[in-house]
Amino acid sequence: MARITLENVRKEYGDVVAVRGIDLEVPDGSFVVVVGPSGCGKSTTLRLVAGLESVTDGDVRKDGESLVGVEPKDRDVAMVFQNYALYPHMTAERNMTFGAGSATDFDDAEIERRVADAAELLDIADLLDRKPEALSGGERQRVALGRAIIRDPDVFLMDEPLSNLDAKLRIRMRAELAKLHEELRTTTVYVTHDQTEAMTLGDEVVVMNDGRIQQVDSPQRLYDYPANRFVAEFIGDPAMNALEVAVESGADGARAAHPGFRLPLPDGDGLDAAVDSRAVLGVRPEDLSLAGADTDADAAIEATVTVTEPLGDSLLLECRVGDDRLKTQASPRSDVRSGDTVALTPDPDRLHLFDVEAGTALYHSAEGATAPDDGRTTRSPPATSEE
Amino acid sequence: MATREVFESRWQAAALLLPTVLVSVVFLYVPAVRAFELSLFEVGFGTGEVDFVGLENYRALLTSSEYHLSVLLTVLFAVAVVVGVMSFSLLVSFLIHEVEVGKGLYLVSAIWPYALPPAVAGFVFFFLLHPDLGVLTRAIEPPYPALGLLERPFEALGVDVDVTGPLEAVGPDVDWFSSGPQAFALVTVVAIWKQVGYNVIFMSASMNNIPGSLTETARLDGVGRLERLLRIYVPIMSPTLAFLAIMNTIYAFFGTFAFIDVMTDGGPAGATNILIFDLYRDALQNFEFGTASAKSVVLFLVVGVLMYVQFRVTEEYAYYGG
Repeated sequence: MARITLENVRKEYGDVVAVRGIDLEVPDGSFVVVVGPSGCGKSTTLRLVAGLESVTDGDVRKDGESLVGVEPKDRDVAMVFQNYALYPHMTAERNMTFGAGSATDFDDAEIERRVADAAELLDIADLLDRKPEALSGGERQRVALGRAIIRDPDVFLMDEPLSNLDAKLRIRMRAELAKLHEELRTTTVYVTHDQTEAMTLGDEVVVMNDGRIQQVDSPQRLYDYPANRFVAEFIGDPAMNALEVAVESGADGARAAHPGFRLPLPDGDGLDAAVDSRAVLGVRPEDLSLAGADTDADAAIEATVTVTEPLGDSLLLECRVGDDRLKTQASPRSDVRSGDTVALTPDPDRLHLFDVEAGTALYHSAEGATAPDDGRTTRSPPATSEE
Repeated sequence: MATREVFESRWQAAALLLPTVLVSVVFLYVPAVRAFELSLFEVGFGTGEVDFVGLENYRALLTSSEYHLSVLLTVLFAVAVVVGVMSFSLLVSFLIHEVEVGKGLYLVSAIWPYALPPAVAGFVFFFLLHPDLGVLTRAIEPPYPALGLLERPFEALGVDVDVTGPLEAVGPDVDWFSSGPQAFALVTVVAIWKQVGYNVIFMSASMNNIPGSLTETARLDGVGRLERLLRIYVPIMSPTLAFLAIMNTIYAFFGTFAFIDVMTDGGPAGATNILIFDLYRDALQNFEFGTASAKSVVLFLVVGVLMYVQFRVTEEYAYYGG
């Protein structure tokens, strides 16, 4: 059990800056997921905590004590790798016990007991005498998890542990990881590029891009109140639509004006400041609905369907509005065809405005953006780039 | 026709195989059969007279204590070379693997001796370790002028301390022109030195193929360096190591001829008279083709049996899984 603190951590490889000064607090016993596209610095961040890389600047602390200069083995952290990193010539059991001897003070009987416990917990008791080559991907990852568990470390560090598994197994292992954390309550930092994994697993999700933290928040708040365009478009599948609009004020309130529509914007924080300027309107595909005949045409977006993608549980429509494209989801058996003109009404409580240049969020139409009811604060550095 | 037809006709395939088959037959199989045939004869030099003697040549070898010594020497030499080369190369490869700066430079320095012809290497060491003229000889033999410097401060204090004197009596005397064990040690060291490069190439490649995450897991678990090398790397590298053990054995038996020829000429008193040199002398200096042929057949059998054992052991222990 431990709390991890990163303070202004920087990592450079020669001229390449992988991590550009990040601050992060991982509370004791929490499951924090770091998510971002390839090359965003998330794995490097994890490796800095593990001690496999050394920080160029800043401080990494565990329970307030600096880890800078502390050897990986003395940090009491266990890591799970994407490629499992099992020793190929050792049986599953030997893989689990091999490092435990040097990493812990447990005697042989204690290690044996722990292996038995972990094997039961992970349902791999029957596989202990097999070598990795005789195990499936999921089984290998369980063994790797078992190896981490029996050491009883302060912190689990997981570097894309499910990325080598097929889709079905990934979903199952995801649920098992969540259950495992429920049981063990060991502080966990989990790195992934998969936003679904991030949303489902994390108590808190850290979105990174270009070596910087974009936002740290609970999964639902990330989805509801993205701090900037990057987070808005990275979290959620299909991605949020972004359309450049002019924000105008009128007698009946502010409107987002686009060549294809003029959408009323409900009052909210930041809206007044955005009036009379250009902004990017963000609206998620799932928040747009096909309008019925009686809809107020004023609040609808007229769009021409260009592509239809039946997903089974819904029908994904790609539409053209003016010169822009947007995606929306229709009910699965609606008879919309490509070439049709449809009226789309957005959920008025699910609109976002972002700064055109910097991409920072200016306004969320839903209440609670600035005063979350669970007492969490939305921490987000500006998305401007200096380098 | 289940398989893909690459050639238009069988004749075309055969024609393409012909050069390889021809070379193998002319330079390998026919000589091998002829050597066995010749080992059953006594061949008179110059006269061209050939007498069938049956297994007489082999019987002579069985009873020759000189030849027994040669076999024993060769086996000792091969074991020393294979073990020496492989443990030293493993250490060098591991150091290169672990070092962070100047990997390339170290790798090149470790490999270059391999590019030297054996005869040249032999000459280089002949002079480096020449009992009278060798540069290295001076460093090995007393007096040690560098140690003499230690006496200076005591001299200044007026105390007479003799550091080099006592060492003079116990220090080694490089004399491999007449000392058998020294000559044997010398050719062994040179043979090892020459073969390290070849081993380092393969071992480094094999070590670099080990996934970095295994090393990182070991580091996180606090597995010590030596333990990491011996208990993680070596087992994973075992197919490469098995291959190298075989190549090094062949090298020790056949590839070390030049060192002996250039440096010791099999001496002193047969102390470095390994089988390949021994049979060369019989054939091309004494012109006893019958005996030499019998010896080459024996050498072939010895190496053949060794290869068989090595392959079996390898199959048993080398890890080939993925």
